[in-house]
Amino acid sequence: MNRTIRLSLVVLLLLTVTTGCWNLREPDQLAFILAAGLDLNEEGKLEITSQIAVPAAISSGQSPGGSGKKSFVVVSGTGKNVMDAGTNLQTQLPRSLFYAHRQSILIGERLARKGLGSLTDMFIRNPKSEMRSSILVVKDGLAKDVLAIEPLFDPYISTMLVREQVAVGLKPYYYRQFLADALCQATQPILPAVSVLPTKRYIYSGAAILNKDDNLKLVGYLNPKESFLASWIIGRQNSLTVTAPVGAGGDEITLNAKSLSKELQFVMQDPPSMYVMLKGAGFIVENNTKLNPAKDRDLNKIEHALSLSTQEAVQALVEKVQKQYKADVLGFGEYIHREHPYQWKELRSDWTTLFPRLRVTVKVELKVKDPGQTNSSIDSML
Amino acid sequence: MNIGTSMKDNEQLFRQRFQNCSDIQFRELTIKGGSKLLLIYVDGMIDTDVMTTNVLKPLIYEGLPQGVGTIDSLAELCELGLFAVMQNRKLTDDVEIVDAVLKGQAAIMAEDSSCALLLDCTKFETRGIEESSNEAALRGSRESFTEQLRTNTMMLRRIIPSPELKMESAQVGRLTKTNVVISYIEGLANDSVVNEIRSRIHRIKLDAILESSYIEESIEDTHFSPFPQMVITERPDIVSAGLMHGKIAVFTDGTPNVILVPMSFWDGLQAPDDFYERFLFASMNRWIRYIFAAFSILFPSIYIALTNYHPEMVPPKLMLSITGLRESSPFPTIIEIFLMEFMFEGLREAGIRLPKQIGPLVSIVGALVIGEAAVRAGIISAPIVIVVSAAGISSFVIPKYRFSFPFRMLRFPLLVLSGLFGLFGIALGIIAMFIHLINLTPFGTPYLAPVTPTIPGRIKHILLRWPRKLASANPPNNGADRA
Repeated sequence: MNRTIRLSLVVLLLLTVTTGCWNLREPDQLAFILAAGLDLNEEGKLEITSQIAVPAAISSGQSPGGSGKKSFVVVSGTGKNVMDAGTNLQTQLPRSLFYAHRQSILIGERLARKGLGSLTDMFIRNPKSEMRSSILVVKDGLAKDVLAIEPLFDPYISTMLVREQVAVGLKPYYYRQFLADALCQATQPILPAVSVLPTKRYIYSGAAILNKDDNLKLVGYLNPKESFLASWIIGRQNSLTVTAPVGAGGDEITLNAKSLSKELQFVMQDPPSMYVMLKGAGFIVENNTKLNPAKDRDLNKIEHALSLSTQEAVQALVEKVQKQYKADVLGFGEYIHREHPYQWKELRSDWTTLFPRLRVTVKVELKVKDPGQTNSSIDSML
Repeated sequence: MNIGTSMKDNEQLFRQRFQNCSDIQFRELTIKGGSKLLLIYVDGMIDTDVMTTNVLKPLIYEGLPQGVGTIDSLAELCELGLFAVMQNRKLTDDVEIVDAVLKGQAAIMAEDSSCALLLDCTKFETRGIEESSNEAALRGSRESFTEQLRTNTMMLRRIIPSPELKMESAQVGRLTKTNVVISYIEGLANDSVVNEIRSRIHRIKLDAILESSYIEESIEDTHFSPFPQMVITERPDIVSAGLMHGKIAVFTDGTPNVILVPMSFWDGLQAPDDFYERFLFASMNRWIRYIFAAFSILFPSIYIALTNYHPEMVPPKLMLSITGLRESSPFPTIIEIFLMEFMFEGLREAGIRLPKQIGPLVSIVGALVIGEAAVRAGIISAPIVIVVSAAGISSFVIPKYRFSFPFRMLRFPLLVLSGLFGLFGIALGIIAMFIHLINLTPFGTPYLAPVTPTIPGRIKHILLRWPRKLASANPPNNGADRA
C-alpha cells in the first residue's frame, strides 16, 4: 500500500513536470472569435477583422436578452500576414484569442482579386485553427462591413451565414472543403458569396470563382441561380426550386425538386465530350396554368417544360464557365481523373486549354412526384 | 468451576458474581414438602406468566411426586418433560450458569445438589416486523429484518423451507457474546468460501459486536478500498436471492442488517425491482442506473476538463452561454465546484442527522441558499449548480445506498485530476480506479466478474435482465466464484 502511494505520487509529479501541459484556461480568460474577415485596406495592407463574442451580453442571468449590451465586438488589426495582424488584434484585447469556435471566414473582394494563395497557410498550419469554418467571399465589399451587420435572429452574424447556405438548399461550404478543392488536380473552387446591401443587411449573391492556377485569384461570380445549378453538378445542392413557363399561355409552374442526382460520362474523342445527366424529383408548389398534373398528358407536358427550361439554363451556365471564365468549377476534370485515370494522364497537362473546348451535352430530367394538394390551379376550378 | 452442594454457598457465589446488578433477581422458594429452592433470573427477561403457571405453581402447590428436594431428581423429571417450558437443561459450571442467566434463562438450584436447572422462559420486548425504510421496492415483500436474530432466521427459513439451507451458529465478542448465524445453501455456496468465512468469524477478537459492520470490518479483505465488499441488506428477499446465487449470509443478533458475501460490483447496482418488474422495463432501468452511476462520478470533472482545457469540444453556443454565466463569478471553476460539492455533501449529512421534522427544512434552505441566492449574488455561477446537483442526484439512483459512497467519494480525486490535467487526468483517474477494481477479489471472487474476467454465459445478465424463460437456458450460477 505504502509503496503504491509513493509510486503514484512520483508518477503524478513526473506528469506535471514532464508533460508541461498545464494549459488550464478559464473560459472568461478567452476571447471567442466567431468570425474572421480578411481584407486588403486602401494602402494595400492586410487587415484582419475579428468578430468576438461578448458572453456577458447573451446570458446575464437576471433579464434574459435584455441587458442592452451588444453581443459581439468587431476588432480590426493590420499586418504583414494573418498571424501578424492577429498579434496586432491581440494587443487590443484583455483576453487571449481563441480560434476553435470560429464559424466563418469572410474574404473581401479586393483581397480575393489579389489572390488568397499565400493566406491559406495559417489556417492549415495552426493547430488551434478550426477547419469547420465556412468560407465566403464578400462581393463588391469588405469583409469587415459584413461583420458589422446587426444580425437578425442569432446573436451573431457568423451562425447566420452558415444557416443562410442551408436555407437556400446548399450544403455549407467549409474551409476543409475549400482546401480539398484548392489542392485537388483540376477543380477550381467556387465559394459562396454575400454582398452588403445599403440597408445594412446582407444578401446571398451567388458564388465566387477562384483560379487556383493563379494564386487563387477571384476571376468572377456566378449569380445565385447559376450557383445553385453549378452546385447541383458538383453535388452540393440539396434542393432546388425551378420555375418555368409551360404551354402557350406562358403561365408558370414551380417545382420544388429534392433528391437531386447527377451523372457524368466522358468520351475521349475530338473534341472530347462530356455528357451531363441531371435528375431530380419533387412536388409542385405553385401552378398558375390550366394544366392538371393529375392527368398523364398534362403531367408529361409539365415535366418536359420544366426539364427543358432547366436544361437550357444549365447549358448556358456551362457555356459561361467554359467561355467566359475558362475555369473548371464543375468538377469535370476531377471526374475524368477518378474514372479514367489513364486518359487523365494525357489530358492533365493541358486541361486549362482543353476545358473550354470540351463539348458538353446537358440533359436534365425533372420528375413530378406529387402534384401538391390540389390538382389544377384554383383559377380553373372557379 | 463446578458449583458446590451447599445452597447457601452457591447463593453467596452468585450474589458475589452479580454484585451491583440490580436487575438480577434471587428468589427463595419453599415448595410443597418443605425443601428450599433458589431461583435466579434477570428481571424483565423472563416471561412471568409462563414461569408462574408452568414452573412455580406445580412446584409450590403440587410438589413433586418423589425424591422431593434433590435437584437431581428434579432435573430428571424435567427431562421427562414435567415442566411445560420449551427447553431446559442441567448445568454444573458456574460460568455457564451465569452466561445462561444473563441470556434470559431462569436458573433453579436446590440444597444438596451441585447443579442448576435452567429453564427457558425468555421473553423480552422486541420490535415488530416492519417495512424496510432503507431499501424500498415498488413490488415484492414489504417485510424487513428486525433486531432479533431468531426472527430474522425465521423469515429466511420461511422463504426457503429446505434442509439444504444451513444456519451455523457462532458467538462473537468477549463482552457482548453476540450470536451470529452463518447461513448458506449447501451445494450452491462454494465450500472454501464458507470455510473461509467461518474461520474468519471465529478468529474475531473484539470485546463488543454492536452491529454487523463490526463483523464486516473484521472479515473483509481490503480495508483501504472505497468500494464495499459485502452487501448489507435488511430485506429477506435479497438475502434469499443472494443465497440462491451461492452467496453466504451472516446474521448478527441485535441488528436488522444482514451481511451477504461475496459482493460483486454489479450487485451494488441491482435493485429488487429488477427481478420483480417486467424484464423490458427492468433492463431499461438497469441501464439508467449504469449511466447515472457513471454520470455521478464523472460529470463535475468532465465539466471542468471541457470548460478549462478543451473549450473547443463544447458546441459554440453552449460554450458562450457557459462563459456568459461565468462572467460574474469571482472564483475559478474548480474552486466553485469544490465549494458546491462540499456544500452538497454537508447538506446531505445534515439531512440524515436531523430529526424527521426538521429534515425537509434543510433541503428547502439548501435549495434556496445554493440554487437561488448564491447564483444571484454572483458568488457561484449557475452551470456549477446544475452540474453539482445533477451529479449529486444521480448518485441517489444507485439502489444500494452504501454503494453510492465510492461514487461520491471518488468524485473529489477526479476533480483534482481534471483540474490539473484536463481529460487526460480524468482518463488517468478512471484507469487507476479500474486497476483497483480489477485487483479487488473479496473472498477470492473477482469484484468485476463476470465482466472482467469475462464469463461468457453470465455477462448477458449484467447487460440486461433476461426473461426467466430465456435465462433458464443458462445453467444457474453454481458456486460463489462465478457470482
